[in-house]
Amino acid sequence: MNRNLLRALAFAAGALAVSLPAFAGAYPLQVARNVIMYMALALTWDMLLRSGQISFGIAGLFGLGAYATALGVLRAGMGDWLSLAFAPVFAGAAALLIGFLILRLRAMYFSIVTLALAEIFRIVIHNLHDFTGGPEGVVLDGVMLGGSAAALYWLTLGGLAVALGASWWFEKSKFHFALTAIRNNETAARSSGVDIFRWLLATFVITSAIQGLLGGIYVQSYGFATPDSVFDANFTLLPLAIALLGGIHSTIGPVFGAILLGLSSEWLKLRLPYGHLVVYGVIIVVVILFMPQGLYGLARKGLRRAEGRAE
Amino acid sequence: MTKLKTEHLTRAFLGLVAVNDVSFSMDEGEILGIIGPNGAGKTTFINLVSGIIMPSSGRVEYKGRDVTYMPAHERARLGIARTYQLIHPLENLSLIENVMVGSIFARRHGLKTARAKAAGLCESLGLSGLDRDTSRLTILEIKKMEIARALANEPEVLFLDEVMAGLNADETRELIAQVQTIARERKLAVGVVEHVMGVIKELTHRVIVLEAGELIAEGPYEQVSKNPRVIEAYLGGAA
Ligand SMILES: Nc1ncnc2c1ncn2[C@@H]1O[C@H](COP(=O)(O)OP(=O)(O)OP(=O)(O)O)[C@@H](O)[C@H]1O
Ligand SMILES: [Mg+2]
Repeated sequence: MNRNLLRALAFAAGALAVSLPAFAGAYPLQVARNVIMYMALALTWDMLLRSGQISFGIAGLFGLGAYATALGVLRAGMGDWLSLAFAPVFAGAAALLIGFLILRLRAMYFSIVTLALAEIFRIVIHNLHDFTGGPEGVVLDGVMLGGSAAALYWLTLGGLAVALGASWWFEKSKFHFALTAIRNNETAARSSGVDIFRWLLATFVITSAIQGLLGGIYVQSYGFATPDSVFDANFTLLPLAIALLGGIHSTIGPVFGAILLGLSSEWLKLRLPYGHLVVYGVIIVVVILFMPQGLYGLARKGLRRAEGRAE
Repeated sequence: MTKLKTEHLTRAFLGLVAVNDVSFSMDEGEILGIIGPNGAGKTTFINLVSGIIMPSSGRVEYKGRDVTYMPAHERARLGIARTYQLIHPLENLSLIENVMVGSIFARRHGLKTARAKAAGLCESLGLSGLDRDTSRLTILEIKKMEIARALANEPEVLFLDEVMAGLNADETRELIAQVQTIARERKLAVGVVEHVMGVIKELTHRVIVLEAGELIAEGPYEQVSKNPRVIEAYLGGAA
């Protein structure tokens, strides 16, 4: 297909995203920040999914990163940027330990354990009153970057750039071959020299670190963290719905899924508060039943059919 | 020179002894037939020497080194490769990408080198249309792709578990010739499991016969095929 056209489109989208604060007001900028945050989370979820492993633990690592940043500032006196850097390091280190224990599990067993771990993190933080602030959470002195809406938007965009870069790298490197081989047939992968555990561990640590970074960015842009806000199930469910809708096993799918679902949910939120949650549920069900490859998969199939006809 | 050797290799599944006290060896450049009736333990034997499953007891030695409990991916890197009786295509990778996998992980080549090597392997097996999805391939093409993927490990020992099954006479003849050429050029030790005795007769230098997990005969095909115990095993299986 037309690669130059795609490149031009990607460049235009990037330029638009970066320059958005120049012409968008406070509300659209806030919406965009949300879309970007969920887009990045959806990408990280999809990256692990490319190995066949379905995580329900995004909120857990997001929350760990959020608390790493908040407590880094409040308990260790870290500066803002250092506290941001601490989030992926902490989440990544946690993922390394957890990964050793759980990456031998497959399918449902892996999914359920990730879900349980996210809940355990929340409960532990909830109960370590003196250190974490308990259920009331912790409040930073202020929001990072002087609270400038544009600067905070760019910070979130930076988080997305990390997720996009990682996802793209996964598609173009040995990760693509390792994860696809593992997803398709572990036995064949082993016979071709793939050290399955090592690749899964690397993927789990990298995606968890990015999820932690995004949690750190979230805390630094809102100035507080409570167990219920940063471990919210939405941080697990929305990325899932986004990737499924847009198209799994790709970078482009979660990008479009986030734009579509993000904007439509904002619109719905205004019309039927709470109703938008039902809409997510319906989307997940419809997509899984009728187009398991998502919109991107559908488009690819359509393109291939058109090309077939042109031959 | 001995490439691969087992001593008293045994594997039981819940009381059923699928491979029982098998000792054998394979030399460089040798094409060895592994025959026996259905359920004799041929596939299990290959699973044991390639590390896909672990033995209950006994020993596997590769080039003088004990690899009995070494994981499959490490054996792949050392030089033991195999194909599967039930095809194992990686369906989300294209034909050439399937072959590249062996090169990338067993040999740790970069993607560029791996692609070039895979293209060469495909060509030597007469495969074309290298960017096709595996869903577009014929059975013969899938079997060749899986042989190419195994060869991409750059192995010294290769096991082919019923690669000819499901092919017609012409296709079988073509593949036999290609396997012979590849084995000769690469000085490979090849272990071939086939049920069609014509293939075994034409392809192999030597044959081992398994029955109910035990090695019951060994020697050139002409000699083994006259062995009363072997005839009995096959007739017993057919009756
Ligand atoms: N994973 C397993 N669990 C339990 N039993 C097994 C397992 N794998 C193989 N077996 C049993 O071990 C015996 C040997 O099976 P194997 O597949 O090795 O035979 P084979 O010689 O390859 O037969 P075929 O010619 O039909 O391919 C059979 O009785 C089989 O049912
Ligand atoms: Mg078999």
